[in-house]
Amino acid sequence: MKNIVLGCSLLIIALLVSCKNEHPAESSAAITVIDTLEVKYAKGFDLLEINDGYRIRIFNPWPGSKDTLQLDVNRQATVGDVQIPVQKFIATSTTHIPPLVLLKETDRLIGFPDTDYISSPVMRKRIDAGNVEDLGSNETVNLERTISLVPDLVMGYGIDADNPLYQSMMESGIPVLYNADWTEDHPLGRAEWIKVFGVLFDKEKEAYEIFNRIESDYLAAKARVKDLEKPTVIAGATWKDVWYLPYGNSWQGTLINDAGGDYIYKHTEGSGSLSYNLERVLTDAQQADYWIAPGQYTSYSKMLADNLSYQRFKAFQEQRLYTFALGTGATGGVIYYEEASMRPDLVLKDLITIFHGNATSDALYFFDPLTD
Amino acid sequence: MKTKTYIALVALLLLLFVADVALGSVYISIPDIWDALVGSPDTTGHYIITQLRLPRAVMAVLTGIGLAISGMLMQTLFRNPLAGPFVLGISSGAGLGVAISIMGGSLLGLGVLSGFGIITSSILGSLAVFLLIILISMRIKDTMGLLIIGLMVGSLSSAVVGILQYFSPSEQLRRYVFWGLGSLSSLSWDELAIITAIIFISLIGLLFIIKPLNVLLLGETYARSLGIPLKQTRWIIISITCLLAGSITAFAGPIAFIGLAVPHIARMLLPSMDHKKLIPLVMIIGASLLLACDIVAQIPFSNYSLPINAVTSLVGAPLVIWLIVKKRYLRF
Repeated sequence: MKNIVLGCSLLIIALLVSCKNEHPAESSAAITVIDTLEVKYAKGFDLLEINDGYRIRIFNPWPGSKDTLQLDVNRQATVGDVQIPVQKFIATSTTHIPPLVLLKETDRLIGFPDTDYISSPVMRKRIDAGNVEDLGSNETVNLERTISLVPDLVMGYGIDADNPLYQSMMESGIPVLYNADWTEDHPLGRAEWIKVFGVLFDKEKEAYEIFNRIESDYLAAKARVKDLEKPTVIAGATWKDVWYLPYGNSWQGTLINDAGGDYIYKHTEGSGSLSYNLERVLTDAQQADYWIAPGQYTSYSKMLADNLSYQRFKAFQEQRLYTFALGTGATGGVIYYEEASMRPDLVLKDLITIFHGNATSDALYFFDPLTD
Repeated sequence: MKTKTYIALVALLLLLFVADVALGSVYISIPDIWDALVGSPDTTGHYIITQLRLPRAVMAVLTGIGLAISGMLMQTLFRNPLAGPFVLGISSGAGLGVAISIMGGSLLGLGVLSGFGIITSSILGSLAVFLLIILISMRIKDTMGLLIIGLMVGSLSSAVVGILQYFSPSEQLRRYVFWGLGSLSSLSWDELAIITAIIFISLIGLLFIIKPLNVLLLGETYARSLGIPLKQTRWIIISITCLLAGSITAFAGPIAFIGLAVPHIARMLLPSMDHKKLIPLVMIIGASLLLACDIVAQIPFSNYSLPINAVTSLVGAPLVIWLIVKKRYLRF
């Protein structure tokens, strides 16, 4: 019986979808752009105010893309639009969770792939109560289950142009919005994506207030260390002979710089991560004062078990290593991966505390000193 | 083959060894290398030479010798020019062991193993396949059947690895993929001592089967008629191959093509099928080829390096194609 009901509802959805696709011109013809909302740091989106809602434009939704994707959201949605506030929301990355928590819209999340990665206590309560459907493991979202949940919107992310999963969702009538927060280089640019969540839940003002607070905290912290002496910093870790490090112009590189650190490879530019030979890093960074985010390592002994060369580094000998891998949620998700992109102010304060311990009394939020 | 050619090959091997130690990301001149070797142990140069480059070059030599010999043994045993050290599924077994240790741990609720844990599980994996093959070889007499079973064991291991990969988080997946790319780096002198001992034991074992190896080339029936203890010989050959390929795979990851290509190069240079002459030649060429591949993989004076497995395939595959085109067939 259940199957028949499901089958019928899928059929109805399919019919509705086919109706939607027939009249896209009608709905967009009457739209006038009233205003452009302020976006200061993010390069991946802009927000336009239209009749009774917003037009969200996503630029370069995945690395190397020149596309612009567009989604209209309206308070009184006509055919082809998404009605706001979005009631039934599906997210696909843990970085989509903190905006929901900050905007107090956790009740809207109805599905997520591999819910174990989510660490937010508020969201975990909802997951444990069975209010969030697990949509499969890893990035392989279960299409059938997603469709059967009949979400108002799926927030996805694309590594490249090949996204058959989201294509199928769109073909089945589920609107998909690409979130490209992870491609932003500026720490505040990533956090600014909360503005997109703000318009989706019709909480534009709240989102702007939250972002402004994060921004002013960030800038104030940055200003505090401007004139302090800069300790040298190394980051990342090896796998065999290759050392993975953030580029100087990357999100992490900018944060180290803004925290008053002198990153050894600050002059490098690129996307992704540097993969230097161990010899090179050994020669360049042996005397670095601090070493942050050494991959997934959680202790000095584990590092040595993998590579004895680590003990050649001053930061290792003087035990000035700090990791975010120790901060995990109830089901093992790394809190840093979930919250850091939305809270660059907290990451910055952590780094300032690490680099200039005497100048601040703040407790560490994401990072922990590596132990044995 | 003339003595002069032997001397030239040994000289080439030494030259490649020195070049592999001299060339790296950081420029260190030959006099500086000497200073680094005899100078203060606290300098970065000394550390790079003695703890990074020298062990890597030694590992290249050991890996080249080990893989080339096991390749030769498999080609002789199966009388198949395409056989290599991994046809018995030994590397797949090692791969499965590593996959379980890296990716299975989290699925089973255990921690992720690293470093020595990976090596141990790799050895256990290849040992498990080895025992399975021995058990099967006790039941079936046909060598070709053994070859097919080896391939099937390989497929089964790959399937389990595939399932583990599918459910693994990206960090662990990356670790496993990188293990599969092979690496001669990050080995301590203690670990090198273990591999040296294993290769030494294997070479001693090899001394006992040189005559049977030569006879095996003429066919199993002929070998039996000459009174060669076939079952015993097969056991020794398989044991040596598993010991060599299994331990090298454990420490360096699966390294392709050396085992397949080197015996053919040796047979091309040496117009003889006598294993007594073939074995030293295979060892020299194997070590030289892997040293050359490692020099390429280090991309001297750049900040980057290539995975060794990719380089051996890039060099090995065209080499085998060239051999076939030049000789019209693989001499056997």
